[in-house]
Amino acid sequence: MFRRLRYWIENHRRSEALREEMELHLAEKAAELEADGMTAALAQAEARRRFGNVGLKQEESREIWMTRFLSELGQDVRYGFRSMAANKAFSALAVLLLGLGIGANTAVYSFMESILLRSLPVADPESLVVFNWRSRPPQNANKEWVHVMHGVQGLAWPGDKGIMVSGMFPYGAFDTLRKENPVFSTLFGYFNGLHRTLAVRGQATSASTEYVTGEYFRGLAVSPAAGRLIDPEDDRPSAEPVAVISFATSQQRFGGLANAIGQPIFVDNIPFTVIGVAPPEFFGVDPAVAPDLYLPLHTNLLTDGARANRMYADGNFYWIEMMGRLRPGVSMAQAQAALAPRFHQWVATTATTDGERAKLPALILNPGAEGLGSLRRQYSKPIYVLLMMVGLILAIACANIANLLLARGAARRREMAIRLSLGAGRFRVVRQLLTESVMLSSLGGACGVLLAIWGVRSLTLLLSHGQENFTLHAELNWNVLGVTAALSVVCGLLFGLAPAIQSTRPDVMPALKNGRGGGPRHHAQHVLVVAQIAMSFLILVAAGLFVRTLNKLHSVQLGYARENILLFSLNARQAGHRDPEMTTFYAHLRKRFESIPGVSSATLSQSSIINAARAGQAIRGPMKIGAVNLDGARVLAAGPRFLTTMQIPILAGREIDDRDQQGSPPVAVISERLARTYFGNEHPVGRRITLPDEKRDLEIVGVSANLRYGGLKNEEESAMTVFVAVSQFSPDRMTYALRTAGDPLSYVKSVREIVREADSRIPVTNVVTQAAEIDGTISREVTFAKLCTGFAVLALLIACVGLYGTMSYSVARQVGDIGIRMALGAQPGAVVWMVLRRVLLLAAVGLAISVPAALIASRLGKSFLFETRPNDPGTLALAGVVLLSAMILAGYVPARRASRIDPLVALRHD
Amino acid sequence: MGRKAQKNDSLPGSLDMLILRTLSLRDLHGYGIVQFIQQWSNDELLVEEGSLYPALQRLELNGWIEGVWGVTSNNRRARIYKIMGTGRKQLAVETRKYAKLTLAIARVMGAE
Repeated sequence: MFRRLRYWIENHRRSEALREEMELHLAEKAAELEADGMTAALAQAEARRRFGNVGLKQEESREIWMTRFLSELGQDVRYGFRSMAANKAFSALAVLLLGLGIGANTAVYSFMESILLRSLPVADPESLVVFNWRSRPPQNANKEWVHVMHGVQGLAWPGDKGIMVSGMFPYGAFDTLRKENPVFSTLFGYFNGLHRTLAVRGQATSASTEYVTGEYFRGLAVSPAAGRLIDPEDDRPSAEPVAVISFATSQQRFGGLANAIGQPIFVDNIPFTVIGVAPPEFFGVDPAVAPDLYLPLHTNLLTDGARANRMYADGNFYWIEMMGRLRPGVSMAQAQAALAPRFHQWVATTATTDGERAKLPALILNPGAEGLGSLRRQYSKPIYVLLMMVGLILAIACANIANLLLARGAARRREMAIRLSLGAGRFRVVRQLLTESVMLSSLGGACGVLLAIWGVRSLTLLLSHGQENFTLHAELNWNVLGVTAALSVVCGLLFGLAPAIQSTRPDVMPALKNGRGGGPRHHAQHVLVVAQIAMSFLILVAAGLFVRTLNKLHSVQLGYARENILLFSLNARQAGHRDPEMTTFYAHLRKRFESIPGVSSATLSQSSIINAARAGQAIRGPMKIGAVNLDGARVLAAGPRFLTTMQIPILAGREIDDRDQQGSPPVAVISERLARTYFGNEHPVGRRITLPDEKRDLEIVGVSANLRYGGLKNEEESAMTVFVAVSQFSPDRMTYALRTAGDPLSYVKSVREIVREADSRIPVTNVVTQAAEIDGTISREVTFAKLCTGFAVLALLIACVGLYGTMSYSVARQVGDIGIRMALGAQPGAVVWMVLRRVLLLAAVGLAISVPAALIASRLGKSFLFETRPNDPGTLALAGVVLLSAMILAGYVPARRASRIDPLVALRHD
Repeated sequence: MGRKAQKNDSLPGSLDMLILRTLSLRDLHGYGIVQFIQQWSNDELLVEEGSLYPALQRLELNGWIEGVWGVTSNNRRARIYKIMGTGRKQLAVETRKYAKLTLAIARVMGAE
């Protein structure tokens, strides 16, 4: 066996030796014959004759040490390379197309896997369970809120049919469920503390923070990278405040694991001690959050003060999330059956009215292995749409390869016929053709791997669009790559096989006689071209719809200035400032900013206008004008000169200014829409808005023009806005806006300087231009439009190549036919038309199939569209025109070639 | 040629035996083996020259003979084959078998 292997490896050298041996043999034989009196030439011939077929004998000898299969495979591969080199354009094209298809698919699938399917990086993630609840819609018929959940810190999201789903629970529920628990070995809670000010050695920055119960790390079975992790002893109201930091934070802020342990830090100006570092791969329970800092749950009593104290006792305030690790052998269904009644019993005690009792939340358990799904909810739909698109592209690429192989198979009929007539086995010829197809597919696969690696990187870049803490790191998924590559190889085999079998039919005579080969028309090719056209149209329509959506979003009337405004946020409360000093501190800073040379005005508000919908409400409870409820009005707490800075016209009265102090009468500025809706033609200035829950009135001092409050996709009712004075409703966090001359970002340095002088413990966060802030809210649409346009160009290109190939082939086949027509007086124009007519026919059939398909499919993407109907006729028409022009362009080249055929040459051809 | 009957294929496997026998007397290259068999059989046995090389490869693969590059009597580079120990044993086996076979055939042919 080993000897055989060695011989096989030494194949080439041995073949050479064998050839030399046989030559020597022939020479000696000839010499002997010559000595017997033959002429030299005759002797050589005789020697050869007696020896028999030298090539065959060599083959037989070789076969002794090599199996026939291997030796023939070697030949096939070598021949395959030669024929690929001979058709460089064809081969490069095929490889590139396949590569693109495989690469794009793998990249997008890898992403989907990391978003939708990846497990938490903890031990035995399958036994983790996430707690959620669901209940009937909280609003009653009068749109009033009737629900045991009076307040929530975190997310509640709508399920099907308005049902409310959430992962937030009151602390009481957590306390009840974790007691003497037969189904969970550990049950732990946590909540997202959002961004806190973390000061290390006097340097303050913003850090994403997670508050966790003492069982959190034990429940997740995470071991520290250094030091120790938070345990139940740390999570008591009076315990020493300790903190665990993420691996990345230890590197960036302390310069290493060991340096961090035992170090004092300040979180929102409260001293903590670092006791440990989480392992590098650990990102908490939600891939979208990835905390920098883990604090014991009860330390929020220190950082959040009285508000936190209320949260523990309030059974109607929902704020803590829960996960549990099942005991071995307990199923999720069993756990739910055990805990749901206990939760029901507890939650019933928190209901105070019949309305609340009628729709108590019901506990549901979900698999925890994949972590929490906020990223999943945000990106899963776009990813599915992308997935469909790249799937189509792979299909187009495969159809194209098939087409190219079919055309080439037909072109090589003559070659195959010659081989067959020279005695090659049919199986042998088919195998040769198959080897070539598989080689093409494999090269395409290799090309696809490279493109996939590149694609994953650029997709990460696109989706993160500059967010520094984007934690979604997709890795190339080799399983997916394997599947797509296998798919392409199968496609190569399948479509390589058809022409191979066809061209090796036993009756070789017609093919030989035919020369250039007429043969039957290849309907298969036409079908493939039509399919490609249809699929390209689908992608074109999608791209068109998304680009249109983007245009609509860009042309939305904001009602306020977009350019030359710098935004940044400060949180003085987290640095220890408290009212009333805090309000003066903020007001003082505003004046300092306004004095920067080049800044024409400065203002502050609770948030930027575009993100206002996501900031907390400044006012608790309803607003009324007289006895009428103010419905659909949005509140924004703004400081002096807000309307001036944002260039919102003042239609009547005045804007909020320095006169509006903490002690002075509360004021409001309302938007024109609001004034018209509630005051008609009456003059609103001087009228009042009452706030029953806050027990005070607002005096309307001015009317502003309408503006779009909140995101670009918000509905028109958002034009009803109430501005209140920040000094009178003092939020913790403040967003400043500076109107600048020239590039807003060039003022960042002065801003930081001023803040550092005022209080070095406060970090300047969320520094961004107004334009970038606005674009950031439509980044998903931008990403989508970009990707889809890219895909559409790609699909169109591939389809054009396919059409071009098919038409070229059919023109080449008809050279004789066209030559005769020209000889008989056909004009070049008529010949061009003859070819183009077929192109148009194919395109028309393709469109006829895909227009209805597009109408149906575009509905799936409806939720991504903005003011664009899924079957937007303009987009459909445009896509059709683009497609047709591309097809005509692709068909025109071969058509022109046909019209230039010289009749004489053409007729002599056969 | 009219001498087809004398080709070695009348007795399958006898070519291997003849080669081994030849090489057990002296080391030879391929053409030399053909000539040797022809001469010693008084031109009665004619080795089909084409079959010789596959046979040599087979014997070498079995480890019974070994070819090394050497020089022929008229100074040309050639692979000279020599018999190995296992080859001699194989020759003994084949010789015994051949003797039995010829004896058996002779008995049948000599029967009255």
